[in-house]
Amino acid sequence: MKPAPFVYRDPATVAEALEALAEYGDEGKILAGGQSLVPLLNMRLAQPQALIDLNRIADLQYVEERSHNGAAGLAFGAMTRQTAVEEHAEPIPLLHEAISWVGHPQIRNRGTIGGSIAHADPAAELPLVFLTLNGAATMQSRSGERVVPAEEFFLFTCTPDVEPDEIVTDVWLPLPLPRTGQAFLEVARRHGDFALVAAAVSLTLDPNGMIADARIALGGTAPTPMRAVRAEASLKGLAPGEDAFDEAAHQAADATEPTGDIHADAEYRRDVAAALVHRALQTAHERVGVAA
Amino acid sequence: MKSQLSVVGHRARRVDGVKLATGRGTFTDDIHIRGLLHAKLLKSPHAHARIISIDTSEAEALPGVRAVITHENVPRIPYTSAGQSWPEPSPYDMYVLDRKVRFIGDAVAAVAAETPEIAERATQLIRVEYEPLPAVLDFHDAMNDGAPLIHDETESYGIYDPAHNVAAHIDVEHGDVARGLAEADIVVENEFFVQYQQHTCLEPHVTIALFDEDRRLVLRTSTQIPYHCRRMIAFALEIPVKDVHVIKPRVGGGFGNKQEVVTEPISAVLAMRTGRPVKLEYTRLEEFTIARNRHPQHIRLSTGIRRDGTILANSLNVLTNTGPYGTHALTVTGNTGTKPLPLYRSPNVKFYADIVYTNLPIAGAFRGYGAPQGFFAMEVQMDEVAEAAGMDPLEFRKLNHIRQGDTDLMSAAAGEGAGKKARVIHSSGLPECIERGAAAIGWHEKRGKPGDGPIKRGVGMAILMQGSGVAGDELAAATIRMNEDASFNLHVGSADIGTGSDTTLCQIAAEVLGVSIEDIVIRSGNTDDITFDYGAYASSTAYITGTCVLKAAEDARNQIVNQAARMLQEDPEGLLVHEGAVRSLSGKSVTLQEIALECLYGEDKTVVIGKGTHATKESPPPFVAMFVEVEVDTETGQVRPVEVVSAVDVGKALNPDICEGQVEGAVAQGLGYALTEEIQVGPDGQVLNPSFMDYKIFCAADMPRLTTILVEAEEPTGPFGAKSVAEIAINGPAPAVSNAIYDAVGIRLHSLPMTAEKVLAALEEKQQS
Repeated sequence: MKPAPFVYRDPATVAEALEALAEYGDEGKILAGGQSLVPLLNMRLAQPQALIDLNRIADLQYVEERSHNGAAGLAFGAMTRQTAVEEHAEPIPLLHEAISWVGHPQIRNRGTIGGSIAHADPAAELPLVFLTLNGAATMQSRSGERVVPAEEFFLFTCTPDVEPDEIVTDVWLPLPLPRTGQAFLEVARRHGDFALVAAAVSLTLDPNGMIADARIALGGTAPTPMRAVRAEASLKGLAPGEDAFDEAAHQAADATEPTGDIHADAEYRRDVAAALVHRALQTAHERVGVAA
Repeated sequence: MKSQLSVVGHRARRVDGVKLATGRGTFTDDIHIRGLLHAKLLKSPHAHARIISIDTSEAEALPGVRAVITHENVPRIPYTSAGQSWPEPSPYDMYVLDRKVRFIGDAVAAVAAETPEIAERATQLIRVEYEPLPAVLDFHDAMNDGAPLIHDETESYGIYDPAHNVAAHIDVEHGDVARGLAEADIVVENEFFVQYQQHTCLEPHVTIALFDEDRRLVLRTSTQIPYHCRRMIAFALEIPVKDVHVIKPRVGGGFGNKQEVVTEPISAVLAMRTGRPVKLEYTRLEEFTIARNRHPQHIRLSTGIRRDGTILANSLNVLTNTGPYGTHALTVTGNTGTKPLPLYRSPNVKFYADIVYTNLPIAGAFRGYGAPQGFFAMEVQMDEVAEAAGMDPLEFRKLNHIRQGDTDLMSAAAGEGAGKKARVIHSSGLPECIERGAAAIGWHEKRGKPGDGPIKRGVGMAILMQGSGVAGDELAAATIRMNEDASFNLHVGSADIGTGSDTTLCQIAAEVLGVSIEDIVIRSGNTDDITFDYGAYASSTAYITGTCVLKAAEDARNQIVNQAARMLQEDPEGLLVHEGAVRSLSGKSVTLQEIALECLYGEDKTVVIGKGTHATKESPPPFVAMFVEVEVDTETGQVRPVEVVSAVDVGKALNPDICEGQVEGAVAQGLGYALTEEIQVGPDGQVLNPSFMDYKIFCAADMPRLTTILVEAEEPTGPFGAKSVAEIAINGPAPAVSNAIYDAVGIRLHSLPMTAEKVLAALEEKQQS
């Protein structure tokens, strides 16, 4: 349970980190909080030639208010610890609720928001929140900066749209619009385990109380965190309530492509996806009033 | 004396507590020895195969490699790894290394090298040619005609029926069960399935073997059984017992997994071969794949009752998977019957079992020792029988459970006590346990009130009994010596494996000798000391070794009193030892220190050495009534235990902190068994979840509220009235949770672990029917 030998670099600036990354290209691996990478190294499932440790880059740890494409939101430096994110998450209820599901406090003290999103685990909480809210990730490389919306960010299992010479430096998430309720639910084998299924919902009503916008996404049910687009569409313009939520929950479950493993079979995950989406819609709806 | 205890019965701080909490406790792996070599194993990739050839030349040529052993160059003496009294009631079906491999991970060869990395690399350079054999990968197939034979070798012995892969067999009956069932008004029949559970000791198996300057084999090893280990290693390696010295350092948990010789034989052979100290330490992966597990079983129960709820017949049928070796095969399954069956009075009782070999992971001793399997089945069965009789499960149990003064006929019929005298129940606090436990959980207020909404609540219960040591098969010896400062060295042969038994034994000695616990310096588990002990298993230490220490301390006290009588010129009859002095009724006194100095340096020189040995035919059962409240999510199948109440009759709580710790630890391990833990094995026999990532034990965040009630029904045969406490509570969570789930949502779960997936499937099935 020891990693294979690797070169260790600990740059103090993003520019230095990018230089180091360019040196090793595909063979270099970014070390953020290390909560996924270090176990992979120890089990020798990952054997990079070099580790480029971002922990000394103080510039990548911040939380600030920022608008993006005209929407108000919060921006997080990629190396912001999940505990710090948790402390500032209240304006974004979905993030606030989801982050308590990330491992345990000890893990969140080390784990970072950028690291989690760049790792792109399909069962992880932060990528799911990022997708549900359609946040934006900023990548830097020696040739400049690139901003990718969350909806285009996740390509395949643990494969985000990040080039080998790029580093995720910033994660932006929008604040909820007025008349919005959000909810996050998860089923895992134990508290702190990877989700068997996680569901995230953001529901916005129009001034007449009809559903103006619904965003529904699921984790653990496909190779990437997935949005339940048909379920979302089915809700638009309807009055919130049992019938609408029931239909949407089944649409969402039908859209999943879960695979079974030793922790639960595919059928169980699909059943639970429906139950969680239904419950998350109910909860989000109840919270619309509270937020408004 | 018993009315004014000053050390026993108190929450004395553990004698090893500070050093363990500050990281200064010395475990086997903490011992630094110059010239130490490291051992690694080459393990079988096949579930069942014959070894055609082994080429070790490349491995031996690797710089840093000091020895490579295979079946071709080690003694081939059949032994059992089960640490039990001699002759072990387990088949002699293991070899240090063999010509055949019988499960994935079975050792093929071992290497000793200067570093663990070199040893590991060398194992990869060993070339083995295997002839793969058909394998038994479902224990239901083991006895089939034409099934592959796992022990076809002629040298092994003690196997019940090697031609049908039957390691051991049980068939006992009292009364006439067939008639009892025929005459019953109501008969309830059920089947139950229980899984492999892994002990997950904090400390893995580890042994450092070396030959000392007198050419004696010294084994520093993480063991529950120093003395059995000494005898068994001497036997397996054909060396005299006098030439083996076993030392037990601090041990990070055993739970039965270390009631075995596991890493000792290979490290000893490698030390012999190299003339150097050798350490073999299992990795966590090896703990999960090649150590021991709880036996999986398929259990059938038939119970017949009269309309008034009294039991007429109870019939238990068990098929047990022991894996490739029969370590603890007979006796573990023996306890599946002999612990739960006598808990219920019944004129007709039958217990039938086959324990079969498979090419799957090895099963062995595990806290509860067969009883968790049996009680899961029995206590769910009793709930269903109660329901069939239209009775509250609590009232049904009160009507039928064993009582003080009853004779436990099963105890003499099967398992470890076979052929011995039946035990009589001298003490039972079970009625009090049931009453107080029910009140604490709110049984009458909460039963049958699942509530509204998708998340339901329920309460369930189970009652339990265990033993205190193996009836008629325990022995312990201890010595105690007084020093100049009126301190005492206490030597015991038992093994504190993290249980706190060193502390409890010091309390007993201190109480008898009228000193404080700080005045006792204990050394345990060293076979060169003038001690003896069968070891830390069967919940025996407090009861057996405790009585032995009581006798040794009384012997020392008598010597002290006689010396004091001479010094005070008083009749010894009237002297009392109390608070560091001996006092006469007339008011004269002499301190223990004055006595010690007089003994060692005065006129009549003598050393106060007390000795005690203890054996008994008794094995008084502690009792538990356990109550669990759960929440069941009907949409996700998730079960969340909310509270566990354990009311435990321990006879006398020698140290209430330690008793509560044992109960709480057992509940945590029992909840894992109930809900999350299972060694999962693929169709080829490979363990699929050999890590703490995928093997789900109950962690702090998963634990419900725990309420532990200690009930003290004084046991006349125990030290200060004590019975055991270490294992019993692990039997309770599985049936109590299953019964609570039924109260919440009306489904009966007969298969462990009760995962959310199983719960949801059962709920769907119920809805459809």
